[in-house]
Amino acid sequence: MTAGSHVQEDRTGSIYVAPSLPAALDALADYGTAGAPFAGGTWIMRAPIRHEPLRPHYVAIGKIPELSAIRIGKDAIEFGAAVTHAALAAALSRLPEFGVLATAAGSSANPAIRAMATIGGNLSALDFYAADCLPALLCLDAAVEIASQGECERMSLIDFLKRRSTLSPGRLLTRIIVPRTERRTAHARLPLRKSGDYPVAIVSLSVNVDAASRVQAVRIAVGSVEQAPRRWGRLEAALLGGVLDPPRIADIAAELAGEFTGRDSVEAPAWYRVSVLPTLVRRAAATALGN
Amino acid sequence: MVFTLSVNGDRLTSHADPVTPLVDVLREEFHLTGAKPVCREGFCGACMVLVGGKPVPSCLMPVALAEDCEIHTVEGLAGGGALNPIQQALESCDAVQCGMCFPGMVVTLTHLLTTTSGATRDDIRAALTGNICRCTGYERIVEATVLALAAS
Repeated sequence: MTAGSHVQEDRTGSIYVAPSLPAALDALADYGTAGAPFAGGTWIMRAPIRHEPLRPHYVAIGKIPELSAIRIGKDAIEFGAAVTHAALAAALSRLPEFGVLATAAGSSANPAIRAMATIGGNLSALDFYAADCLPALLCLDAAVEIASQGECERMSLIDFLKRRSTLSPGRLLTRIIVPRTERRTAHARLPLRKSGDYPVAIVSLSVNVDAASRVQAVRIAVGSVEQAPRRWGRLEAALLGGVLDPPRIADIAAELAGEFTGRDSVEAPAWYRVSVLPTLVRRAAATALGN
Repeated sequence: MVFTLSVNGDRLTSHADPVTPLVDVLREEFHLTGAKPVCREGFCGACMVLVGGKPVPSCLMPVALAEDCEIHTVEGLAGGGALNPIQQALESCDAVQCGMCFPGMVVTLTHLLTTTSGATRDDIRAALTGNICRCTGYERIVEATVLALAAS
């Protein structure tokens, strides 16, 4: 026996490499609850480590052309659910209004993982609480498309996060749509090491300011602190009309941070995740002002 | 099922379950034990191999999806019995310690040398984000890479 080889013992089943989206949807419908999509696999392949059973059947979606496409349009960017973090970061590197998303996709995990892990996987892995792209996409007001045999439904990312645990088998997240507008953005994350591991907390910021740096519009999303990312509505409301002064808004964030109930884990205690939020808000604001 | 894999230029056959991690097939069926299954989470880099020319943590790649790819393990990187430039530099700089992380380090740095000839120290450190050295011998590894880049 080699180190860790016991984890093979539970592995059974099949992987169907779908050549097209209709073929993938057909297979997922046929498998029902026994099947699941397989994109980058960086979460699914770790199921044995989490003591979770693998599904009997997987439908690999990485070779479906439209799911790996990125389209940068005049009014929106659209990308397939099987686009990797590395590909998205590269595609957005020259679009300042998407700095928050480029940073999220380009700084998660490590280079090899970023070349495998997909944005769709990041959005769909229910038990992965430290996803970088989720708060980034929330602050950009993203929408997603869900496909099933003969149907395609578009919904806001906020609605998707509410519904994703109850979506019926056979449905597949296929596309993410992000509107293009003038804005300053920033993604502040705190990993335990400088890089290469999961962030303790994430603050994603999208803001419009006038010539006097007063906040005209703002969206702030927090990730990794609780089990699901969410917008920080009270902080957004408190910042509207005021000057985007990083120390000042950090003070406001400190007054409001008590509304978060942090999650405990082996990496960090709940209180710590909440306590770093004002600092991350300050860093995000400073970065946004510099952009 | 039967999977035919291209590993270090050889065509090899596996009878593993489709979801079996590539690292287990390499080690237990093909007896290529350079890649090490250590964290099995894609974080430590000890199982890194080249798949289609890119570093991939082989603990996270199911064998079924490796079938149409060119796979190179550390055993295939010393062409004709001669060390490749990064292997030579690591030896010259006495950078090898316990050896657990080194196959993965060599794979990642072989890719860096062939794709980023002008890499800086920061580029080297960024490339090694997913390769953890438990002996903390990073400085000599980075120094060896700088030397290998200068000589290339």
